Order: sequence, then structure tokens, then C-alpha cells
Amino acid sequence: MTKRIFRSTCFVAIAVLIACIVLIMGALYSYFSSVQMNQLHMQTALAAQGVNNEGLSYFDGLDISDYRITLVSPDGSVLYDCRADAGTMENHLKREEIQEALKNGEGESRRFSSTLSESSLYCAQKLNDGSVLRLSVAQKSIFTLVLGMSQPICVVLVVAIVLSLYLAYRLSKNIVRPLNELDLDDPLSNNDGYDELSPLLKRIDRQQKQLKRQANEMQKKQDEFTAITESMNEGLILLNPKGTIISINPAAAKLLDAGQFSKGKNILTVNRSLALQEVISDAVAGKSAEKIIELHERHYQVDASPVISDGAVGGIVLLLFDVTEKEDAEQLRREFTANVSHELKTPLHSISGYAEIIKSDLISPEDIKPFASKIYSEAQRMIQLVEDIINLSHLDEGADSMSFEDCDLYLMAQDTVANLSSEADASDITVTLSGDPAVIKGVPHMLSGIIYNLCDNAIKYNRPGGKVNIDIRDLASSAILSVRDTGIGIPPEHQNRIFERFYRVDKSHSKEVGGTGLGLSIVKHAAKIHGAKVSVESTPGEGTCISLEFPK
Amino acid sequence: MRFKFDEQLELLNEELIVMGALCEKAIATSAESLATGDLELAGGVPELASRIDRKERDIESLCLKLLLQQQPVAKDLRAISSALKMITDMKRIGDQSADIADIILTAHINAGDDALSIGDMASAAIKMVTDSIDAFVKKDIDIAEAVIDYDDIVDGYFTSIKSLLTQRFSVPENDGEYALDLLMIAKYFERIADHAVNIAQWVLFSITGNREGGN
Repeated sequence: MTKRIFRSTCFVAIAVLIACIVLIMGALYSYFSSVQMNQLHMQTALAAQGVNNEGLSYFDGLDISDYRITLVSPDGSVLYDCRADAGTMENHLKREEIQEALKNGEGESRRFSSTLSESSLYCAQKLNDGSVLRLSVAQKSIFTLVLGMSQPICVVLVVAIVLSLYLAYRLSKNIVRPLNELDLDDPLSNNDGYDELSPLLKRIDRQQKQLKRQANEMQKKQDEFTAITESMNEGLILLNPKGTIISINPAAAKLLDAGQFSKGKNILTVNRSLALQEVISDAVAGKSAEKIIELHERHYQVDASPVISDGAVGGIVLLLFDVTEKEDAEQLRREFTANVSHELKTPLHSISGYAEIIKSDLISPEDIKPFASKIYSEAQRMIQLVEDIINLSHLDEGADSMSFEDCDLYLMAQDTVANLSSEADASDITVTLSGDPAVIKGVPHMLSGIIYNLCDNAIKYNRPGGKVNIDIRDLASSAILSVRDTGIGIPPEHQNRIFERFYRVDKSHSKEVGGTGLGLSIVKHAAKIHGAKVSVESTPGEGTCISLEFPK
Repeated sequence: MRFKFDEQLELLNEELIVMGALCEKAIATSAESLATGDLELAGGVPELASRIDRKERDIESLCLKLLLQQQPVAKDLRAISSALKMITDMKRIGDQSADIADIILTAHINAGDDALSIGDMASAAIKMVTDSIDAFVKKDIDIAEAVIDYDDIVDGYFTSIKSLLTQRFSVPENDGEYALDLLMIAKYFERIADHAVNIAQWVLFSITGNREGGN
């Protein structure tokens, strides 16, 4: 813009300058011509007077360097000429100024000489004797005039051009400066320059504010999205149809060990498991797919869904979530079902076997009694099992439906010891009870279930002549129930599994010992409902101590 | 034109990763069926091997097309030529995994019960294959060199298994064929580890341009 203003200004200045020179030269030329003509008239009049008075002798001492003087007789022949020989000159009667002078007494004309770049002015006057005196003077043409003045004109031109360049430079700078000083980030702040710019600047200002507002909104939305995806535990990955990662949340990045620069890379470079490739290729084909993949020794379900836009797959959303617990629970449930069926089936087989033998009369009547007692004991075992399962499923339902009341652990332990005394005697085991009465809030039948199962185990897994001691301690903030035996003990590697349903340390001898494998499971659940902590100390071959700490 | 070239190079890279993943799957499946005696798993390996073969041909023709049409130079040329070499090694890994699966299927070998450290050797070989593919994916010189060094461990396993099996041969009542099959499997794992070393060396070549690689 500066350049353009500069150029235009220079152009205007130089054009005006040249026009001025041309016009002034023209005006000057015509002025000079008329001045010259007047002078010529005066000189002609003077000369005519001189010739009238003195005749031809007037010419003798005349200084005639500037003018050419010619005397022409009335018939046109030249009588005298100061520059040429009068005798050789042609007849001048036809000349315009002579004719005019003969007619009017005075005449003038101007003729261009073809050879010289100048014109001649002629002035003629009729003398008293009828002849005509003519004076002529050479007049320089405008070209010659300009040529003659070229030096000063050049000086003037150079000075004027330099001056106009300088002024144009300053001017253009000055015009543009306010534009350059505009602060486009805040266009309304310093518009001192031009009112004409105000509408434009106002508009820019408005649009800028609008843009800023929109950018803020976008940023806010982006932040919301990021906040949501960043804080979610599930992995979320957005892919384009070629499998390039567009967005990956921190959970997914952590799961797939993707670095911070994984955005823009292909998902294959982050994880190349075939299952992932399959769900992605399904999604690219426009179908939703899901698969379980294993990462960091946990199971994750991958859901891939295509994002359809304009009838084509525009992207893929991958969602990864941890299903390890679900799978584990599923596994537990399957195992439990299998165990229950197995545990129920074994006594049923015995019962049905004994019954079949009796039915087919294969045995003598005196053997029927032992068979019946076997059937009875197996049936008892099944009843026990079913009861335990029912107990457990009650416990599974939780504490909501239970009514809590004050219970004395010591009294309950006394009852249990009394109940189990016959079994203890049968196994030659001494059961002792020590400690103080301790009252806690609890569900009576569950608490007695806990004590019963613990004592029952302590007696069962004991050796002949062994001891079982139940100890109840009443502390300030809790009550501690511990059952200590001098039995076979539990190897350390089994200690954290004994509370699982149907878990047996010694699987091969479980049948001889009896029991359902659910006792400790019931203890664990009941303890959980009472908020009690269960701890196991055991040394194989020496004995086991299981303690429960009930909060008051 | 160049844009298309870049796209094709990217495609080559992705195809190689997919092929690598297939190899990993093949050897892992063989090793798992070896450990668990799950014959159904082993039955799936030949199918994987033929998928690897198809992939090899695809990548081969893609490489040749790139070489012919784009006339690559310098780093691109190294990448394409090392890809051509790498797929051969990957294909061999796939074939040998299938061979292991074949032996498991016919000889009913269950190394899970065996005192031999063939399971450890399998894990070491799998680790090498996985790491060599990782080195390729991440273009990581350190991982590639670690793979090359790790080969000694697999070789060590092979030597110890071999000497254990030699002892078995000396006891006449042992099943000689069973021991031979075990030796074959160990040898295949050892070969797979060597192929992983080759892959790592080609990865090094494609990055550094130095063909010796490691030692």
C-alpha cells in the first residue's frame, strides 16, 4: 500500500510538473512572439521614418545585425537588402506582407523557413515614395527555445522530482502509519486514523468476540469430554477406518502400554493381538463386535462399534472394560454347581446301590440292618449338606433381613460344648471352655453356627487324645472368640483357601472324616455379616487356632 | 505419487505387524498345547501356519511392487529389503510351530508332566519372537540387540535338554521315540529362536544400515 501511494503521488507530481512546463512554455512563447512583433513594428516605423527623411543613405551607418532590412520598389523589385545582393533577388511583389503594405500602408506576416528550425517575422511599411520597406527578424521555434532552456529546466526537473519523491515517501508513510498501528486483536482500541475504517473494525471486533466465544465453548466441551474419558476406568479408543488412533484415554493407554505419542499411530503398533484385529476388522465392515482379550493377566472385554456417517464407516469406537471379576464369579459359580452336584451325587449313589441290593434280595435278612444304617447315614449326610447349602444361601442374601440382638458368646459356647460332648468323647478328645462372658450384638443362630462349625472341625481334624480349647475374651472394644486344637494343622499353602466352598485340604480322605466342606465357608460368611475379622494360625502336625474378633 | 508411496510403506508396516502377531500366536499356541496337552489347540496351528504363508506371499508381492514402481532409495530401500528377508524368517517360525504341533498331535507329548525344562525353553523362544516383533514395531535398537543376546539362553536350554535326553537313552526301558520327539521339539524351538535373532538383525539393518548387527 505504501508503495502504491508512493508511486501514485510521484506520478501525479511528475505529471503536473511536466504539464506545467509545457503550458508555461506555450504561454511564454506566444508572449515573446507578440513582444517581438511589436518591437519589429516599432523598428519598421523608425526605419521607415529614416528612409523617408534620408533616402537610401539612411542604411549606410546602420547597425543591422539583428534585423534584415529590405527595400522593395512598388513594382516588386528589390532596391536594397542588407544581407544579400539586391540585384539577384527575385521579385517580392507577391509576398504577403508587401501586398498588405501596398494596400493598407502596413503589413506583417510570419513564415517558417523549411531549412532552419526557426520562423521569420516580417513587417512592411509603405514609404512616402510608394516603395515598401520591410524588416524581418528570425524567431526561434519553441523547440529551440526549450533546447536553449534545457539546463535550467533539467535542474528544475531534478529538484522537483527529488522533492516529490521525498514528499511522496513521507506522505505515503504518514497515510499508512495509522493502518499499521491498528491492533487487530483489539481493533476498537486505537482507531485514531480513519473514520472510514470504523465499520470494518467494528465488524472485525464482533467476529473476533464471536470466534473467541465459540472457541471457549469448544474448549469447554473438549474439557468435559476429556474429563469424562480421563476419569473413567474403562479404556476408550477412537480409531479412523484405517486403524489410526485418533483419541485414547489414559485408562486405555495404561492397559495397552501405549506411550503418550501413540496418537496418530496405527493401533497395530500398540497392540497386535489377533482378537483385537478381528473385532476391528468386523467394525470396519460395519458390524459391532466384542471379544475377550487378556492384558496384564486380567481379562478385558473389547467392544468395537463402527461410527457410521453418510452411509460409510467413519471411525471405530473401542471400549475396553475389565471383566476379570465377572469371569471369576462365573467360574466360582460353575465350580460351586459342579461341586454341589458331585457332593450330592456321591451319597445318592451309595443309597441307591444299597437299596438296589436290598430290593433284589441278594442279602440275608440279618445284613439288612447294617445296610439300612448305611442308607440312613448317607441320607443324613445329604440332609446335612442341603442344610449347609441353605444356610449359605441365607448368608449370601446378607444381613438386611436378620434381626440383631444381644448374645452372650460364653453361654453359646457352653451349649455347643454340651452338644458336641458325645462326638468329642467318641473321638477321645477333651473340650474345654475358658474366658469370660462377652455380650455382643448378633444373630444368635449364626453365632452358634460359627462356634459349632469351628468346634466340629477342631474335633474332626484332631488326633486321638487331643485337646480343643474354646476361649472367649471380652475386651473394651471387641470380643474375641478363639478355638484352638492340637490337631493335624493346615499347611500354609492351603490356609488362604480353606474358606472356599467345598475346599478340602486332604481331598482323598474327606469321605472318612465326613463333613460337607462348607463349614468354614459358613463361618466366613457369618463373620462377614457380624463384621468380625477371622485369623488363622496353624502349624501342620501341631494344631490350629482360628480366632474371630467381633466388634462391639 | 510420493504420498501414495508413504501410504504403501505404512501398509507394508501394518501387514508385517499382523504377520508377526500371527507368528506369535502360532508359537504360543504350540507351546500352550505342549504344556497342557490340549490337542485341540495344537490342531489349530497348521491353519495359522497357512495363514502366515498367505501373508508372506501378500507381503512379498507388495514389496516387489514397491521396488518396481517406486524405486526406493536409502532408508525406504532398507525397510523394504529387510521386510522381504524378515517375512522368510517369520514364515519359518510359522512352519516350525506347525511342526511342533504335528509332533504333539501324533506323539501325544505332554511336557507339562515332564521334568525337562522344555516349557521354560518354549517361554524363552516365545519371548524372543515377541521381542523381535516389538523391536520392529517400535523400531527399537535396544530391544533388537537384547533379542540377539537372549539367543544364548535358548541355546543353553537346548544343550541341557539334550544332555538330559542322552541320559534317558542310556536307560533301556525308556521310550526312545518319545525322547527323540522331545529332542525334535527342543530343536524346533531352538530354530525358532534363531529366526527371531534373524528378524532382530534385519530390524537393526533397516534402522542403522549396518548389516552385521550385534556381534
